[in-house]
Amino acid sequence: MISITNLSVARGKRTIVDNFSATIASGSITAITGPNGCGKSTLSQAISGDLKYQSGEITIGGRELQTITLEEQAELRSVVEQNRNYWLSFTAREVISMGQSEADLARIDGVMQRLQITEYADQSVTTLSGGQAQRVELARALIRDTPIYIFDEPLSAQDSQSKARIIEEFQALQRAGKTIIVIAHIDRQALTWCDQIIDFTQN
Amino acid sequence: MRKTFIALALLFIASLAGLAFGTSDVANVWQIIFNPFTDTTSISHQIVWELRGTRIAAAILVGASLGIAGTLAQGSTNNPLAEPTILGTSAGAALGVLLGVLSNLVEIGSVGAVLFAACGALLVTTLVFSLAHSALSLITVGIGVSAIVSALVGLTLTAVNRPDARSISFWTLGSFALVTPSDLLILAPILLVGAFAAWKLAPRLDLLSLGDAAVRHIGQRPHRIRFQSFIVLSLLVATSVSLVGTISFLALAAPHIARYLTGPKNSLVVANSALIGALILLVADIASRSVVPPYELPIGLLTSLIGAPILIATLKRGKDVWR
Repeated sequence: MISITNLSVARGKRTIVDNFSATIASGSITAITGPNGCGKSTLSQAISGDLKYQSGEITIGGRELQTITLEEQAELRSVVEQNRNYWLSFTAREVISMGQSEADLARIDGVMQRLQITEYADQSVTTLSGGQAQRVELARALIRDTPIYIFDEPLSAQDSQSKARIIEEFQALQRAGKTIIVIAHIDRQALTWCDQIIDFTQN
Repeated sequence: MRKTFIALALLFIASLAGLAFGTSDVANVWQIIFNPFTDTTSISHQIVWELRGTRIAAAILVGASLGIAGTLAQGSTNNPLAEPTILGTSAGAALGVLLGVLSNLVEIGSVGAVLFAACGALLVTTLVFSLAHSALSLITVGIGVSAIVSALVGLTLTAVNRPDARSISFWTLGSFALVTPSDLLILAPILLVGAFAAWKLAPRLDLLSLGDAAVRHIGQRPHRIRFQSFIVLSLLVATSVSLVGTISFLALAAPHIARYLTGPKNSLVVANSALIGALILLVADIASRSVVPPYELPIGLLTSLIGAPILIATLKRGKDVWR
């Protein structure tokens, strides 16, 4: 279980997340929604361990996140960030493989096939469309086997067919007992596949 | 791979040309080159193998060091414009050597000078990186800090009243004229260690190209990778600067040309930027002492004159290597 209690996160002098609380059950799919610029990505970065928070706490399985080492955090969660700028012309396959363990690499072909990356696997990532690049980032997270997955706007650049395929991937993860957090600014009606929807603006 | 072999063949041909041509004409020069162990006491042999041979070896070692240093600078800061001159590494190394020499603790060309240079290089590079908060500000802050440190070096040289001040000034402009065979014994092992360390760091530099968060997400520390790169970069630049002075531009150009040859994988870029750096600097050194004999042209200017057109041509042809 992930428990967020009275969380406040600031960037510089500006408080972005103010006294936010939520509980995310293990093995659930939770969507955190809200309009652009309301601080969803900041919250996502705090839950991912990328951003230090000023007050409140985030506990994962009863342990305070800021006391968990970077190596342990890597075993606990996989993260897909909202934006990715590729500087170098690595192929999609090279980007997905970078820094991954042998066990993770054994899953690469299956994940690339399911996300329809195979056809551009050997193409330079600097030449990919926004949707293709987003699927490469999803693949980087999906080939890893961790109990928690955090996706920041994972569907924003996808067409309806790709969206359906990615949602199926999330549901398959859930059936395998994984906890999934999806940050999204889409309507509640389009999130029927989620177990819980947290409206960030009301917090 | 084919392009790498062509570059390697060119390096071999340039080395032969470097032995054959110079400020003075040597009779039977090819015979001396292809029979290096006969008549070793003759003046011609000493000109070809001791004077020119030492310079050629120094140009190859310094060029390779700067090529690798450029790859580390660009890879660790994720910035295609980064290079030791812009990051302040070269100016820091020059200041380090100068402080060591002026305080009479070390002499130019000694291991002690390399250590002083390495400390200066590492301090200024780390300062520049810690003051910057984006890729663009890294360049602006780097140029600013470099300007301050270079000004301090220049002012100190002007103010100092020492008989060897002129040779120190000459050294800050970059020159192979003062290189001795014993310098090669400092350059070669440091290049070997630096090249091996850079090659070991290369896969982590690949990962760093995805951004700091992506590195943290798989349990590695981006700042540690960066600092390790800065140490190797500083050592390579410090050795070059303390022995032959500051040679700018090469460390910027060599990694870009190498990426055109091999693609973005840093383990290949490390090896190929060493090769390209060595080739450009060697050709520049041959040109510097052969174009208007007996005068020697400044090596830094010729490096830019030869390297820049190659850089522009490769960037135009391989336009998707950097976005």
